[in-house]
Amino acid sequence: MKKNILPLFIFQLFFFTAIAQNNNLPLVDKSPMDMSYYPANYPVLKIQDKITEPLVARIVYSRPQKAGRIIFGDLVKYDEVWRMGANEATEIEFFKQVKIEGKKISKGRYTVYAIVNENSWTIILNKETDTWGAFKYNPKKDVVRATASTQKTDSVIEYLSMVFEKATSGFNLVVAWDNVKAILPITY
Amino acid sequence: MKLPFSLLLFCFFLIACNDTYKNKSEAVNRIPITDSANFNNDANKINPYSPIDISPMDMSYYPADYPKLKMTKSISTPPMARVIYSRPHLQGRKLFVDLLKYNEPWRLGANEATELDLYKNVTIQNRKIKAGRYVLYCIPDVDKWTIVLNSNIDSWGLHSDETKDIARFIIPSGHTNNSIEYFTIVFEKTGNNVELVMAWDNVEARLPISF
Repeated sequence: MKKNILPLFIFQLFFFTAIAQNNNLPLVDKSPMDMSYYPANYPVLKIQDKITEPLVARIVYSRPQKAGRIIFGDLVKYDEVWRMGANEATEIEFFKQVKIEGKKISKGRYTVYAIVNENSWTIILNKETDTWGAFKYNPKKDVVRATASTQKTDSVIEYLSMVFEKATSGFNLVVAWDNVKAILPITY
Repeated sequence: MKLPFSLLLFCFFLIACNDTYKNKSEAVNRIPITDSANFNNDANKINPYSPIDISPMDMSYYPADYPKLKMTKSISTPPMARVIYSRPHLQGRKLFVDLLKYNEPWRLGANEATELDLYKNVTIQNRKIKAGRYVLYCIPDVDKWTIVLNSNIDSWGLHSDETKDIARFIIPSGHTNNSIEYFTIVFEKTGNNVELVMAWDNVEARLPISF
């Protein structure tokens, strides 16, 4: 019995020391947070005085890694609500009114989820902000459910990535991970 | 019962070691220049959309961990504030004066300007601050920091256009027992006081906020 306790004690000592070193302050997330603006790179354009169109949207999300796994159809199950991120629920903010599939979306903050399928995704905007993951996702608070078309990417994308790209009318939210990208058109 | 638990702890320990090791090897392979250097790992080279930042972004809420509290339904009141900031790390450097100089404005983060979102009006040092989004930056000194709220929101780094300063608060700075590798901002509640805690290396500064 004594033989067992000593290594246990040492491991626990190391374990708790590792935590104590951080002063109980939060560790850096394994899936780091990031944000993307539309117009793309708005903050950089702003400080360079190169803004040509007003600020419209921003998405704040955390970026899980593929880490050798098959993502779509495996880690992210088809036909199930997926948090489309990690940690805090992914949040999109519109700084002016926009339209998604013709539906008016008021200026404001929304959480974003997705239902992934092989040939298209359903992107969900929901009113319940400042929450975690999709664990308490409530479809009654949905603002819109829209279809995003998907394409295969040329290369494997290790980290979940989201950007806004200019389109002929309006702009697109592009969500890419592993070998798939989904494109959600947003108009004015 | 004890054996599986110790095994679990051991696994956690291994994971923690592994991460530390990775961070260290990355730091050695890179020449640290600024607090927002480019992160050129293999995964980034082939990401055509958005590379991973060397200084990852993070957010802190007040009440602390609000999203988790909301998920567990143990909170029904709306959140009062949050900070969105990027977290540079020391990589063997000293905060003062390798990275920061006394009496020079610092962006309190990296990449996009650090943002304080107030969801209700607050009082800081007897001054009313309206609900809204603000850029947060500071001017550190040896034993005191000036914390600045600025209206130049959705910008990058620090372009301290002082004409857009909303308020400045001078607070004492102190020292922590341990060195903190990644810059950290959190809200902490002690008794009836809420403080915005900014900590990096062995320095911390606390801004009291009344909600």
